[in-house]
Amino acid sequence: MTKVNVIQPGTIEAPPGDIPFLLLPERNTFQARASRLRALAEGHALADYLRFLAALARAQHESLSLFRRVLLPEAQELERCREHGMPPLGTRGWVRDPVWREALRGILTELEAGTLPEAGRATAARLKDTDDASLERVAETLLAGDYDETLDRAAIPFIGAALQAYWLHLVTTLGAGAFGRLETPHLCPACGSAPMVSVVSVGASDHGLRYLTCPLCSMQWHAVRIKCVFCDTTKGIAYYGIEGGSAAVKAESCEACQGYLKILYMENDPNMDALADDVASIALDVLMADSGITRRGTNFFLF
Amino acid sequence: MLSRRQFLQFSAVSAAGLSTSSLGILGFSATQVLAEVRQYKLERTTETRNTCPYCSVGCGLLMYSLGDKAKNAPAEIIHIEGDPDHPVNRGTLCPKGAGLLDFVHSPNRLKYPEYRAPGSDKFVRISWDDFIAKNADGTTVNRWLSTGFLAASASSNESGYLTHKVVRSLGILAFDNQARV
Repeated sequence: MTKVNVIQPGTIEAPPGDIPFLLLPERNTFQARASRLRALAEGHALADYLRFLAALARAQHESLSLFRRVLLPEAQELERCREHGMPPLGTRGWVRDPVWREALRGILTELEAGTLPEAGRATAARLKDTDDASLERVAETLLAGDYDETLDRAAIPFIGAALQAYWLHLVTTLGAGAFGRLETPHLCPACGSAPMVSVVSVGASDHGLRYLTCPLCSMQWHAVRIKCVFCDTTKGIAYYGIEGGSAAVKAESCEACQGYLKILYMENDPNMDALADDVASIALDVLMADSGITRRGTNFFLF
Repeated sequence: MLSRRQFLQFSAVSAAGLSTSSLGILGFSATQVLAEVRQYKLERTTETRNTCPYCSVGCGLLMYSLGDKAKNAPAEIIHIEGDPDHPVNRGTLCPKGAGLLDFVHSPNRLKYPEYRAPGSDKFVRISWDDFIAKNADGTTVNRWLSTGFLAASASSNESGYLTHKVVRSLGILAFDNQARV
């Protein structure tokens, strides 16, 4: 007689209920990112840069312990933001705790021992000696998004990294319940940043759903697929990839607004990290730039 | 907000932008990336939303197709799956729905009218004019009982209205919608 497999209650997963709106980043996001970056660096045309970013991500993870005593928004404030569809940790409104600069200096010290090129080492040394007011000014400009030629581009990866660590601490401490939906659905519900890339999930209740990923706080929030994130158009959406290349990373382009946002299909590569794979797939961006479609995703490490 | 022009100036991601980006300023070389890119070509695919044609549940579908309309390459559907955003099926499909790709590419699909003459053992392709002439021949146009009409489950209200107008003005009595089956 053949063996009969009797399915026990609970073996079959419950049908998915409501669409989970937020996917909170893990506390070990930077650690995971560092190992993904190291794996991507093997044989990559941009290997040195990816290894540098891996070291940076490790330093970001180390810096998280510095934020233990930072101020969080009060419950009343969170409630008011949810009610009015505002981001409680908005890049323009939230008063940064000065401890982020301590994190920046910690990150710079960690990196000194690493594999930075000469110019990078010089930038790191310069930033370590930069006064607080100047650092705050660069951070302010970067977060507000209104920069011009005078922006200190070399400083962005370091300053961006410290700010990322601070904001990740804030959102992971507050938890997903603290945030509601915004009136502008393409901006991060936690900090109001425009997205870096979008990610199509794998898993249980979020399988196949698309989430926008925040370049600052790593929060992921739901957005309907096959729809331009920026102008809400559903017509003329196309997906560009490299012929014969990975099917896991595509550029979702919109005919109406002539822009694109990368989309990462976790089903094709479950080890992907939004930021790491965005940088590693830079060849796709170069090809898209050649075809005249504008990149809309913000990434502090592609500045 | 950032204007498009501003973004172009500050984006590292064009061939010209890489060396003046933070990556370049920090002393990392992008030469190898740019050399690699020269061998690459973009490939365009599309994803389209649709409704499953089978039954009244009306499950949402995502259909993936290859081909660049601009280059006159024939578009080809390469994959069909449940639409995860659709409130009815949340990405799932029944076995019939999961087999839709074979249904689309089936060699047995009826794409034009065919006629099997009395005594013959095979169907022969005929024109739509012949089809209408043959069917109208000998039938009372206000009570056409020999033919029925079944509309698709994905029909909108407007196509329902059109179905009614077309079918009733031909005199067909039997018509229904797949969504009721």
